[in-house]
Amino acid sequence: MPVITLYFSRLARLMGRRIPRERIVSTLPFLGLDIEEEASDHISVEYSPNRPDFSTDYGVAAGLEGLLGIKTGIPVLKIKKGIDSIRVEPSVGRVRPFIVAIEALNGRLDDETIRQMIAMQEDLHNGIGRRRKKASIGIHDLEKIKFPLVYGTVERNHKFVPLGSNDTMSVSEILANTETGKAYGHLLEDSKKVLAIMDHEKNTISLPPIINSKLTEVTTRTKNLLVEVTALDKIIAEDTLSIIAQMLQKGGFKISSVRISGARNSTPLLSPRKMLLDPALVSGVLGLDISPSEMMRSLKKSRLDAKMRGRQILCTIPRYRTDLSSPIDLVEEVMLGYGIADISPTIPKAGSAGQKNRVTAALGATGEIMVGLGYQEVMNFSLVGRKEQYELPGRDASGALPVADSKTQEHEILRDAILPGLVDTLSRNIHESYPQNIFETGIVFLKGSPVSEETHLACVSAHNDANFTEIKSVLQAILKSGFGMTCTTKVSHNPMFLEGRTADVLVAGRRIGVVGEISEHLLSSYKMRVPAAGFEINLSGLIF
Amino acid sequence: MSQVLHPIEQKILHALLDKSDITQEDLSVKTQLSIDQVRRGIEWLRFKEMVQVKESEKNYVKLAKRGLAAFESGLPERQLVNYLRTIPVFSCEMDQARSHLKDEFGPAIANAKKNGWIEIYQNRILLKGYHDATAEERAIKLIATKDPPMATSDEIGDADAIESLKKRPEFITVACTKNVLVALTEKGTQAAQSTPVFQDSVNRAIDVEAPAPLVFAARSHPLADVIDEVREIFVSLGFSELVGRNVQSSFWNFDALFIPQDHPAREMQDTFYLRSLSSKSVASPRHVRQVSKAHQKGWGYGWRLEAAKRMVLRTHTTCVTIKELADRQYEEARLFSIGRVYRNEKVSYKHLVEFNQVEGVVVGEKVTLRDLMGLQMEFYRKMGITKAKFWPTFFPYTEPSLQSMIYNERLGKWVELFGMGIFRPEVTRPLGIKNRVLAWGGGIERIAMLRYGLDDVRELYQNRLGWLRSVPKCQ
Repeated sequence: MPVITLYFSRLARLMGRRIPRERIVSTLPFLGLDIEEEASDHISVEYSPNRPDFSTDYGVAAGLEGLLGIKTGIPVLKIKKGIDSIRVEPSVGRVRPFIVAIEALNGRLDDETIRQMIAMQEDLHNGIGRRRKKASIGIHDLEKIKFPLVYGTVERNHKFVPLGSNDTMSVSEILANTETGKAYGHLLEDSKKVLAIMDHEKNTISLPPIINSKLTEVTTRTKNLLVEVTALDKIIAEDTLSIIAQMLQKGGFKISSVRISGARNSTPLLSPRKMLLDPALVSGVLGLDISPSEMMRSLKKSRLDAKMRGRQILCTIPRYRTDLSSPIDLVEEVMLGYGIADISPTIPKAGSAGQKNRVTAALGATGEIMVGLGYQEVMNFSLVGRKEQYELPGRDASGALPVADSKTQEHEILRDAILPGLVDTLSRNIHESYPQNIFETGIVFLKGSPVSEETHLACVSAHNDANFTEIKSVLQAILKSGFGMTCTTKVSHNPMFLEGRTADVLVAGRRIGVVGEISEHLLSSYKMRVPAAGFEINLSGLIF
Repeated sequence: MSQVLHPIEQKILHALLDKSDITQEDLSVKTQLSIDQVRRGIEWLRFKEMVQVKESEKNYVKLAKRGLAAFESGLPERQLVNYLRTIPVFSCEMDQARSHLKDEFGPAIANAKKNGWIEIYQNRILLKGYHDATAEERAIKLIATKDPPMATSDEIGDADAIESLKKRPEFITVACTKNVLVALTEKGTQAAQSTPVFQDSVNRAIDVEAPAPLVFAARSHPLADVIDEVREIFVSLGFSELVGRNVQSSFWNFDALFIPQDHPAREMQDTFYLRSLSSKSVASPRHVRQVSKAHQKGWGYGWRLEAAKRMVLRTHTTCVTIKELADRQYEEARLFSIGRVYRNEKVSYKHLVEFNQVEGVVVGEKVTLRDLMGLQMEFYRKMGITKAKFWPTFFPYTEPSLQSMIYNERLGKWVELFGMGIFRPEVTRPLGIKNRVLAWGGGIERIAMLRYGLDDVRELYQNRLGWLRSVPKCQ
């Protein structure tokens, strides 16, 4: 989840008044912001990607104003009709067909505002923009640009000075050598031509979605901005632009529109939406008996507008609230505005008695008997490493079930047996006192279509006199006391066990597992000096 | 096989080697062991066939009051003889002797006559020539000079003397005593000869304050205990348990929950996909069609069945509950599921790739968010957690959504625990679920960490016996 830093002094300035710090800190969580770190002058909070408007302190300040009752209702976005324009060439159609833009005029940018803006841009790229795949943002110094602009394509040998460099580079060089080129170049696929925004004097303004040009770099001296968003989807482009426009307006800029022309493209309106909300849905879902006017008051505290239309509440939703898609979302806005702390819990009566699943009940009983036999329960992962599962025990790896792209080699395949993990557990306890008798019950996975999941029991005994007879006694005891069954053991061969001291376990003629003394080879590869014996049986056929 | 001998046994063996066939009392004296210790040691040694015990009966003869007096001043007949010897003619009148001997006169006359020491002639007593010490006198002397003043009939050696002394009132008492004699066997002799003399003074006390060797009780895994506790609480709240598969199609893990196919959580950086495995049929055609429509309408993209078929290790247990709700169409229900879930994360002190999650759902026409909060509080109360509160949060498939915070005394701060919410209509409607569904759940490891005071979640799966053996089960 993305994190933003909020300075208390900036929040005070943005809200136009100084609110006691404790009040702010205790209100932030009720906007859905999780406090990560608190310092003397700032606080870091995590916000959910479904609220991209919280990617700057402007958005957070607007939310706080609502909950604290400083300002309620919708923050209106005023857009003056501008004269500048962007023409879209048909050649962009396949790769990234949409562009929208606004101008932000007569503002002031200090270092912290620029930092907030860049952080917001990155968060939007990663969240709503899906790592720039769906949408990417360019913010430019308006003064350096000669309108009209053209959103079109250029050859890969096209050259300009990219942001963060002093040298003229070709598109190919930029893709190969710059950080963003390497990270996002794949989004251009292998098209011969690449996207570019060019101004009237043939200056390259941007190479979406990779990098802007050095020419339009924004500094603390910049007064007027051009913000453009290129995207795969027009709605996402407008969502993104509206969030930035709202932020810049709150930051003191005047917003002006940029006319867009070209196939499927149009000038964005960024106007609020309307949605009807049935008061009965609110009281039904929340279980709160409150009046529609109370609901409307709550919606306004959530920075929405609301009025009655017949028996329904008509909500006005600002364009930047991209997360509100259906009436149930408005129910939550009522909840937030009303105040969760003021909603008292109720305990519904159960209509019937509950019960454990018989599989888990049987597994619990199995564990009890193993404990009664003196075996300590252990718990291992079912996603395991190839080394412990196959290589060290010398087991056949043809049934291995690998997962894709695991971040660690210790968790790359699904186990098909528990016993190798128990031997690994013993090896990590060689400094502890013996005897060590351990067991585990759990799921193992067997290759097939679909993958089958079996519940196994495995145990191992390690001490100076550990041997086949001892472990067979334990096997007999668990089958007898647990399941009223007797088993036979038939000589078999298994690389994990000592040859001549290994047997298959059969119940009613069916093979359910294996028992034996752990092979000296396996023990020595784990540097274990104490002998061990163990068994593993499939419980799935026995109890469920 | 060597036999370990107790210090008591060693002492007895050495005493017997010195002198065999002695009584327990004598052994007690010789070994300076108490009589009880001697008896116990002899029992042990008999069991080891190192000593044999012979029992015999013995009569002990002691002097009574008149016997003791007789030892001082002689038997009555001796007193008579001595008196007669003081008279010049060695004879006197009967009455004269009677007044001298008083009560002893009768026995004195009778016994002296029997011994042939006197003759009675015309009412006079005449002393005859020889009057050597009698067997009775020798017996009295023998007994009296012994310490303690008693003797066995064997020592006295004259049964007649004892019999006649017995006939005299208050001269002797005879007591019958069982006697135990202890002797070494051949094995005992060898053992005694090969065992060094035990030097230490005998002290049966041990250091009761010293630590005893450690033994460890086998037990269930502490995490399993917490899982069981959570399960019991759900059952007590009227919930029935579902068990589902760990390997699921993306359809039930994501699509059915209205998580769009390009959602970051579905990427391989976050989710484990089974390599080159996809489900043949994910759900009923109607469900597939409805879910597809919901995605197209709600998220505005072209939903693909192929993406829904990819097999994943479930990232939550919600896939189990949602499938059950879609299959069974409950009007009302309380269900829960506990099991392993998987996330493709970097393992750290706070993240695991695999952990246990519990999830509960309540289906009902009139269930509310307040009910959900109430069930949550009730769950925590049963877990012994009294301070809890709710904050808003976001989940793609619930609306409204809340997270609960509980106050941890040890850490002195609020800790995030279970998440909860009401399933979105975009989730329930396509699957034909008519009533509202309250859902909540979260990781159990987090509860276990709070319970056992752990700061590193990995400890729960390291299976260090040192830790497993140290966690108290009954607290």
